[in-house]
Amino acid sequence: MREQLEQLRNGALQAVATASSVEQLQDIRISMLGRKGELTALMKGLGSLSATERPIVGQLVNTVRDEIESALGAAIASAQEKVIAARLQSERIDTSLPGRRPQKGTKHPVSLVIEEICSIFSGLGFAVAEGPEIEHDWYNFEALNFPPEHPARDMQDTFFVENDMLLRTHTSPVQIRTMLKQKPPVRIIAPGTVYRCDSDATHSPMFHQIEGLMVDTKVTFGDLKGILTVFTNQLFGQKTGVRLRPSYFPFTEPSAEVDIACVICGGKGCRVCKNSGWLEILGAGMVDPEVYRHVQYDPENISGFAFGMGIERIAMLKYGISDMRLLFENDVRFLRQF
Amino acid sequence: MNVTYNWLKEFVDFDETPDELAELLTMLGLEVEAMAKLGAGLDDVVVALVEEKRPHPNADKLSICRVNNGKDVLNVVCGAQNFKQGDTVALAQIGAVLPGDFKIKKSKIRGEDSCGMLCSEKELGLAEESAGIMVLPPSLAPIGTPVFSALGLKDTVFEIGLTPNRSDCLSVIGIARDIAAKLNLKLRYPQCTIVEGPEKVESIIGVTIEDPDLCPRYAARYISGCTIAPSPEWLVKRLNAIDMRSINNVVDITNLIMMESGQPLHAFDCLRLSGQRIVVRTAADGEQFTTLDNQQRVLTPADLVICDAERPVALAGVMGGLNSEIESTTTSILLESAFFKPAAVRKTSKRLGLHTESSHRFERGIDIEGVGRALDRAASLIVELAGGVLAEGCIDIYPGKSDRKAIIFRPEKANELIGIDLDRDVIIDILTRLECRVSPCADGSVAVIPPHYRIDLEREIDLIEEIARLNGYDKILATMPIARVISDRPTRHQETEKRVRDLLVNNGMTEIINFSFTAPDAAGKLLLNDDDPRRIAIKLANPLVDEQSVMRTTLLPGLLETTAKNMNFRSLDLKLFEMRRVYFPGDGEDMPREPLCIVGAITGSRDGDGWSRPNEPVDFFDAKGIVETVLDVLDIGGVSWVVENTDPYYHPGKSCRVFAGREQVGSVGELHPLVQKNFEIEKPVFCFELNFEKLVKLSRTKKTILAPSRFPDSARDIAMLIPEELAAVKILECIRAEKSKEIEHVQIFDVYRGKGVPDGYKSIAVRIRYRSFERTLAEEEIASLHKKIVTNLIDKLKVTVR
Ligand SMILES: [Zn+2]
Repeated sequence: MREQLEQLRNGALQAVATASSVEQLQDIRISMLGRKGELTALMKGLGSLSATERPIVGQLVNTVRDEIESALGAAIASAQEKVIAARLQSERIDTSLPGRRPQKGTKHPVSLVIEEICSIFSGLGFAVAEGPEIEHDWYNFEALNFPPEHPARDMQDTFFVENDMLLRTHTSPVQIRTMLKQKPPVRIIAPGTVYRCDSDATHSPMFHQIEGLMVDTKVTFGDLKGILTVFTNQLFGQKTGVRLRPSYFPFTEPSAEVDIACVICGGKGCRVCKNSGWLEILGAGMVDPEVYRHVQYDPENISGFAFGMGIERIAMLKYGISDMRLLFENDVRFLRQF
Repeated sequence: MNVTYNWLKEFVDFDETPDELAELLTMLGLEVEAMAKLGAGLDDVVVALVEEKRPHPNADKLSICRVNNGKDVLNVVCGAQNFKQGDTVALAQIGAVLPGDFKIKKSKIRGEDSCGMLCSEKELGLAEESAGIMVLPPSLAPIGTPVFSALGLKDTVFEIGLTPNRSDCLSVIGIARDIAAKLNLKLRYPQCTIVEGPEKVESIIGVTIEDPDLCPRYAARYISGCTIAPSPEWLVKRLNAIDMRSINNVVDITNLIMMESGQPLHAFDCLRLSGQRIVVRTAADGEQFTTLDNQQRVLTPADLVICDAERPVALAGVMGGLNSEIESTTTSILLESAFFKPAAVRKTSKRLGLHTESSHRFERGIDIEGVGRALDRAASLIVELAGGVLAEGCIDIYPGKSDRKAIIFRPEKANELIGIDLDRDVIIDILTRLECRVSPCADGSVAVIPPHYRIDLEREIDLIEEIARLNGYDKILATMPIARVISDRPTRHQETEKRVRDLLVNNGMTEIINFSFTAPDAAGKLLLNDDDPRRIAIKLANPLVDEQSVMRTTLLPGLLETTAKNMNFRSLDLKLFEMRRVYFPGDGEDMPREPLCIVGAITGSRDGDGWSRPNEPVDFFDAKGIVETVLDVLDIGGVSWVVENTDPYYHPGKSCRVFAGREQVGSVGELHPLVQKNFEIEKPVFCFELNFEKLVKLSRTKKTILAPSRFPDSARDIAMLIPEELAAVKILECIRAEKSKEIEHVQIFDVYRGKGVPDGYKSIAVRIRYRSFERTLAEEEIASLHKKIVTNLIDKLKVTVR
């Protein structure tokens, strides 16, 4: 019996060692250890042994079974590993091929800049306001203190349409419309399309502006400087130098042109800033009392500031675009880069 | 306004360098837009002494000079003959760059070294023509001194961009005055001495102002016996420096004094005036007049003219007449200095398109009190330079004289508004420096009478601005306002706009922006019907070009032009959209309507030329899918599609209108081949249009959200043959009409034509997924519900189930 066991063990281990697949190993398990397997059959013969021999041989049978079992287990695991390894090897792909992308669209740079500026100002508590592009002279000029036949009207070449109306030359009429509708405090930002009757490399007959207006009690010119400094730093980066210098707009007084340190050369002087180190980006000032008179606000009790800037100019500076016309050519090779 | 550094220095003693002065002017609100340094690059042209001059051994016309530049004695070959040994000359040394980018290098001329060049006035840009080299006065300056400094020609021209309010700075004195006020220096006004002859001006000419409203002051002087000649060099140079052309001595003086004082002056040839009279009146309707520039002008009663006894001799404040201009033979001059009403001059100048230095100043308003001073200064200068005798007295008709009213000014209001804290004395000092007369009032405020030339100072706020300006904007601290909280949530319109723009971009579409104005035939190119409201566009009264002369009523033409343009650049796979306003005339007195619209166009390959998918072209359903996504995201209810009566620019068999309830909210379709041709597009284009304003109104803001069912589903497919003309949507409607809560989802998963399907039919396969929210559906329940649906399809739509 012992010899039989020994033979069986050697045969089984031999078979396991030479088996080449998981299936063969499973077959070995069944033929050895299954219900009708050889070892099982041997175990059934234990009954014929003497009482003293039975435990010893029984012990031996168990040892042999454990031995085969563990050899089988290890062999199966290793065979399975090989199968997986082979599969992984066979399933390799060329991952360097480009991915299957959902198509990417882009917003127009003008929309992007408007969104960014509105977002900065909404963080400062300014609401977005809008107004008509085809305007009455009164909103576009008179209420903003441009009397008829005033030379200041030359600053803005105007397109006229029928019924004494015009294409607004700036977003400033939104100031008037807003103040006529609501009492202070007022804090708005008004992006929009505007039109002027000239066209060359730096002027487009249609362009975009953003107007800002804040009216409350005790708003100062220093506050205007503060708000615009925060704004330019957020738009062009912290520590962008800001300079206000005296200027003139009929609807603000005191008025200022606002320059930022040239974002191209950092203030050293270059072609873009005409060697001045400064770039003019917006006009601003304290709302003129004459404007308040037109909207029935009392300048003795309130004060405020207004500012306006050209979106295209800011887009050109932000993205380093040298020709404004690119913005309206709508060439997708240009637009898809945004 | 152009002004030079040296000219300014005649009136105020400042120490600033040209660069510092430019910065100072800009920070005063007198923006220096450009600066030109005269003689820049000519520092290497120096005063030098010719120590020896001998003939060139190899050339008859050349000489060899030994020239001392103060440091070395150099060998210079020269071709000019007009100088001798011992003369002082202008030597351009090696390295100098003469006008015209002419670099001086060491050279060999006919075998002799030449270390520089002796210059002529022409070569230095000092004259148009010159004969020979420039021989300088011997004691002009030590040798080695740059010639431009030695001649006092070193100067800087500032080009100042003046804002329309600062008419007082349309003069050299005006700018000098602002510099003096800023630097707290004294201004030197020019002095002039009037020497009058015996003849009385009244005996020569009489002046009548018929319209004192348009001409509140008219002054004139008479000079006889003068000689018209070219101006002296200093005068020519001064005018040239600020880009003015020299004409003759008298005209140049009127221009010089205009630039100096801001007062436009006009000189008439008095012998050509008839009747010894000047009449200032408005023109007769249709009256004709030839201006100095030899242009015939037809006048209107809005134009003010200066006339002699018979006819106009000048367009007041704009331009003189050919009939009385100064000629070389002129000997008697009537010199005019007047004030004309700004709006009137502006009207005439605008209407005639005649913008002159004179009209520019009158339009903006000149100093009415300065009329006489400028007249005297010019008259005395004419006598000095052109000879002649000044008649005794000055005609000065001044019906418009009035005193300036005082402005009540509160120093604390200035501090409060600007956000500074200046002492009252400092504020009063600033006003005094600006030549305001300041007197304190009992209540702490001050009464301020601004100087007469500052016509822009009328209100307290104007003075507050002056305080901020003179004190310096750079001295104002940036502060953050203390503000009350207000609700500033974007409107539904704004939020929806952003949402839709984001959505389209996230669906692969590129946003374009076209001009709001378009060509008048845009509607025609779209084949719009004659009665289509989109044919009625708002017209521009003064368009730049015809292609931009009407406000667009539809965004499609721009979109299609953009499509064609991109295709020309071989960008063939396009997904474009535009989201902008269109413009319709208002009813009667109403404002025009400016609704926001959305259009999109797709063409070319669906997925681009990838390696991983078949390269299929986009079709109608790609465009429709984008519209469906927008409607879905905005949660528009009751959507239906109508194939009848689509717009004429669509392919009638491949287009439909989309409704939300009864409102048409948009359309989608393939472009009609004729329209495609009109826009020169070579490949099919699929377009959609959405009425954004309606979408905003119809979009639902509240959604009902259901928890998903926890019970298993069961799907059943139906394949059926239906006639081509039966719309697939009818199948879906018929199934949904069952209104069973157990129908979870219905989907068309196959549409097939071809083998096994008879002509005129299509095969449609539909999958219905059944599921209950309450329980697991029994097989029999599903079977009976499904059978009912199939029966309905067969009975109502006559489908053949396969
Ligand atoms: Zn720069």
